[in-house]
Amino acid sequence: MTFGPAFHAECLKIRTLRSLPGTLLALFAATTAFSAVAGADQGTGPQADPLFSALSGVLPGQIAAITFGALAVSGEYRGGALRVTLLSMPRRGLWFAAKAAAVAGHVLLVGLVTAGAAFAAGRAGLGAAARAITAAEAARAVAGCGIYLTLMALFATGLTAVLRSGVAALSILVPFVLVVSFVVGDSAGTVADLLPDRAGQAVLRSAYDGVLGPWPGLAVTALWTAGALLAGAWCVRRRDA
Amino acid sequence: MTRIEVQSLTKEYGGRRAVDDVTFTVRPGRVTGFLGPNGAGKSTTLRLVLGLDRPTRGTATVGGRPYAALGEPLRRVGALLDTQAPHGSRTGRDHLRVLAASNRIARRRVDEVLEETGLATVAGRRVGTYSLGMRQRLGIAAALLGDPGAVLLDEPSNGLDAEGIIWIRGLLRRLADEGRTVLVSSHLMNETASFADHLLVLGRGRLLADTPLREFIHARVEPRVRVRTTDDGALRAALAANGHEGVRHEDGHWTVRHARVETIGVLASRAGIPLLELAAEEATLERAYLDLTAGETEFTAPPQEART
Repeated sequence: MTFGPAFHAECLKIRTLRSLPGTLLALFAATTAFSAVAGADQGTGPQADPLFSALSGVLPGQIAAITFGALAVSGEYRGGALRVTLLSMPRRGLWFAAKAAAVAGHVLLVGLVTAGAAFAAGRAGLGAAARAITAAEAARAVAGCGIYLTLMALFATGLTAVLRSGVAALSILVPFVLVVSFVVGDSAGTVADLLPDRAGQAVLRSAYDGVLGPWPGLAVTALWTAGALLAGAWCVRRRDA
Repeated sequence: MTRIEVQSLTKEYGGRRAVDDVTFTVRPGRVTGFLGPNGAGKSTTLRLVLGLDRPTRGTATVGGRPYAALGEPLRRVGALLDTQAPHGSRTGRDHLRVLAASNRIARRRVDEVLEETGLATVAGRRVGTYSLGMRQRLGIAAALLGDPGAVLLDEPSNGLDAEGIIWIRGLLRRLADEGRTVLVSSHLMNETASFADHLLVLGRGRLLADTPLREFIHARVEPRVRVRTTDDGALRAALAANGHEGVRHEDGHWTVRHARVETIGVLASRAGIPLLELAAEEATLERAYLDLTAGETEFTAPPQEART
């Protein structure tokens, strides 16, 4: 058993379910729509960060990426599906790597397209305020946005493998990115900037007041994701299927 | 030659032994029935052989290697475990395409096994719309996908209709005749006797019998004859004179234990007793199996008081 066929099989699994491509479509639609609205709405004001405004659709849109990452694995934990999977791919670590790679490939591709479209829609809404955004900043934010969405999806993938349930993983992650991180993030100082979602969002800002710059911030999110994936892989290898 | 070898296999769940020091070999070219009451450890043993569960002790190999060490395992071993495994939102064909891709099995095999299992017309439908019998056939299609030398099926006739059961008997026979190793679990003795050449009987995790079906029947099944006559008195006398013990039932038929139709028929004929009915009793195979596994059953109903 080698990586190539396993990756091929996992990509095929994603494309042969209606719900998973549907979630990626939702990622694109929600992010772009919210960015367009936010751009038109928050373009002015003394503390406005036009770059972040243009891409702020990512905040609700990431829910779709997280859902995608969770759903891609949670199907394995229903009705003995994992047994069929492991019968065809008994090297569990390799299988889980192929699963994560398939999730990453799909989210990165859709995430980059989404980020580009969201930025264009947000900038159109901003009008004159958009002129403050430099081309380098824009390129960094769009690329970073695609990577950020990928990392969040993989974080959900790892957590779902640990909990063996998409519902359990989503009921932790969705309130976390919508509420906890939002509330704690405004009140607390440096610790909040190291939360998996807050850290990575630095890449979307032109002015970052936290302790981390855009790429170090994304690296912190990557560390969280790596931790979740390793924990997931460990559980997949250790447990009876 | 894909032989399945199980050596001192033991699996404990929190102190309870689901599989207890089991050793056996499943040979190619014949159908081996894997029998035992519910909870006897059949499915656990299959999962251990397939590398899905980790044994507490002992080893299991397929073709000389642990399952997890097989390169493209679907080409060596086909298995049916859970019928609920395929995702309900995926079509039957896509389920098989994914499996084929993971083991680099040619696309045409997908259509071949769909045809072979009678699913060709419903292959484009989502699995969620399948009946239990169709899911069972899809599981069997998945097991046959890689044209494997060994096939392990857990209760394959579950949910199949009469036609399906006849089909699976023929399929098992053909697979064995082609020289493959065929292991089929079941909790029904009579059903297993209809297709198996060899028997493995498991009870409470222990191996109770590892024997050819014919020997099992010969050694354990007590032959009985059912007789009906118009002359009960003459029959009783003739049986007693020849050392047989007959019991007359209320509806008028007799049961003669430890006897064969050949003896009783000739005996009655010589004595000039008119016979209305003479038959070997069939239910005794199930009885022999129940006697063997008695006390090894995990869930037994309390014995009912006799009413007559």
